[in-house]
Amino acid sequence: MVDRLERLINLVIALRETRRPLTVDAINERVAGYEGDRTDAWRRMFERDKADLRDLGVPLRTERVDRFDETLGYRIDPADYDLPDITFEPAELTALALAVQLTGLGDEAAPGLDKLAVGADLPGTTRGVGRLPLELGLDAPNRGTLTDALLERRRVRFAYRRPADVGEATTTRRVEPHALLHHRGRWYLRGHDLDRGALRTFRLDRIEGTVRLTGEAGAFVIPDEAPDPREVVPGADLDPVDAVVLADAEIAWTVARRARGAGEAADRPGWRRFTIRVTDPDSFVSWVLDQGPAIEVVQPADLRARVITHLQGLLG
Amino acid sequence: MNPTLARLQRLLVMVPWLLDHPGVHVEEVAERFDVAPGDVLDDLDVLGYCGLPGYGGGDLIEVSISGDRVAVRMAEFFARPLALSVREGLALLMAARATRDSGILAEGHGPLESAIVKLTDHLGGQAGVPVVLDIEAGGSDLLRRLMPAVADQRVVRITYRSASKEETTVREVEPWALRSTSGAWYLQGHCRLAGDTRAFRLDRIRDLVVSDERAPDPPEEPPRPPIYEPTDTDPVVVIDVGPESAWVTDHVVLSDREQLDDGRLRLTFRAATLEWAAGLLVRLGNTATVVTPDALRDLVRARAADVLVNYGQG
Repeated sequence: MVDRLERLINLVIALRETRRPLTVDAINERVAGYEGDRTDAWRRMFERDKADLRDLGVPLRTERVDRFDETLGYRIDPADYDLPDITFEPAELTALALAVQLTGLGDEAAPGLDKLAVGADLPGTTRGVGRLPLELGLDAPNRGTLTDALLERRRVRFAYRRPADVGEATTTRRVEPHALLHHRGRWYLRGHDLDRGALRTFRLDRIEGTVRLTGEAGAFVIPDEAPDPREVVPGADLDPVDAVVLADAEIAWTVARRARGAGEAADRPGWRRFTIRVTDPDSFVSWVLDQGPAIEVVQPADLRARVITHLQGLLG
Repeated sequence: MNPTLARLQRLLVMVPWLLDHPGVHVEEVAERFDVAPGDVLDDLDVLGYCGLPGYGGGDLIEVSISGDRVAVRMAEFFARPLALSVREGLALLMAARATRDSGILAEGHGPLESAIVKLTDHLGGQAGVPVVLDIEAGGSDLLRRLMPAVADQRVVRITYRSASKEETTVREVEPWALRSTSGAWYLQGHCRLAGDTRAFRLDRIRDLVVSDERAPDPPEEPPRPPIYEPTDTDPVVVIDVGPESAWVTDHVVLSDREQLDDGRLRLTFRAATLEWAAGLLVRLGNTATVVTPDALRDLVRARAADVLVNYGQG
């Protein structure tokens, strides 16, 4: 049996160099590796080869053989295949390589970088940068698939685990994706939930398993304006408030990092007074509770009351 | 990726480069494409059997290997690399934008900016796919000081306020990596105090001293977060939570989850320490109740009472 790599290369060359689209018959007759009886196994092999080439980004077209013949054939237009003449300076490639490493997007971006670096005489790929001891963590399962869904405007289906769905481990959601949002270290999908008939925001890390693309491309219209994460991500509040807190010496340093300024001496010996800008009250109260008795919320009154009520609830 | 497809992807980049560099040394090819010289020769061997239908003398790609030099000819159809796929282009653009927005690079962003402009032009309308990045400015002073220390493998001494024990310790750490996960930055490495792998949240590091001591090489693939991996000796905790507190399942490694008749959820998990579990329960408030152990229930009540003293409610 002919090596699969050899067969795929020959198919790319044949489809790229043909003027008229090649029918399945022609491929079967003429392309090395595709000879022999057209059994079910042959058909499966050919389908898999096409799918894999498309996954690699090879622009395989399905077209009518000619104006007078409705038979479909396959072709690769050299204008689609060839990387256009774009020149990146070595410094730009190095910056991109650094960015790819930093964000952890190597699986998706590194092959692209290799292509851009062919013309530049430097090992300008991610490999040239070496191991970078820093990672922004932008990669997430299903993010690539959802990007495809956005590009093609296709519907998606996935199993979603909403913690509040007590009793039901996951629910199946069908969504028309409108945007992917990265906010405070997490990825979110914003889209039209078809079963609920409303716009919803989903956390990618609560999607179980794989997102599936369903239906035709171009199935819906994406709103022109991309949503503001602070408006659509739950817990992200638009109106920040200033909170005044007192902190003891043990934790004053960590409070100072959140506060504007190093604070001032408070009435209580050893304690300091800080003003903190609060954009997310829930996470602020959580943080305060984490600090134990080393901190006290003075203002605003409603946040102070929230802390007190919360703690009293624990005493029963 | 399937190994055959990975080889094909590499070849489609390697052939244009080889056409530009006739007579190059095999080692140079191997170095540039980060593969073993033997793999380069294997790939070239396959390439020599490929070409235009007909596959006669003038149709096949010519691969010549003499000594340790290689040349490829008659492959003009592969003169250019395969165009960027939209996915590759978008991933590059996103990486570049996120890096710029994060502000973690100390040096200027000139080359990054111009690369962003070129990529955006190249992608055209597709660059407008609605992906919104709202990167937290991670450019804290601590991060800037830790970056060179991690890069140069310098042992660091940190004063760290532990979340699980509510105590402050001074630790020597052989640093491996800095990672941002779910919005928080972590320093990951070998902690000499614990004698084990640890991840330290940057916002809990009070002081940092970078030493001159060179740390041993980090492992090839440092373990990825989640950072806490329960061991058999860690205390087992059982709590009941209402629907509004089910978010807690994102923060613990559950060993059991049981639906109760009243609509609440019984969760079983191990905690590094009871103190850590108490911290979690204080945050959960009255929507959660401790089933076992009793010591945890007492700890939570004592903590709440302690804090209420501050508010004149003790």
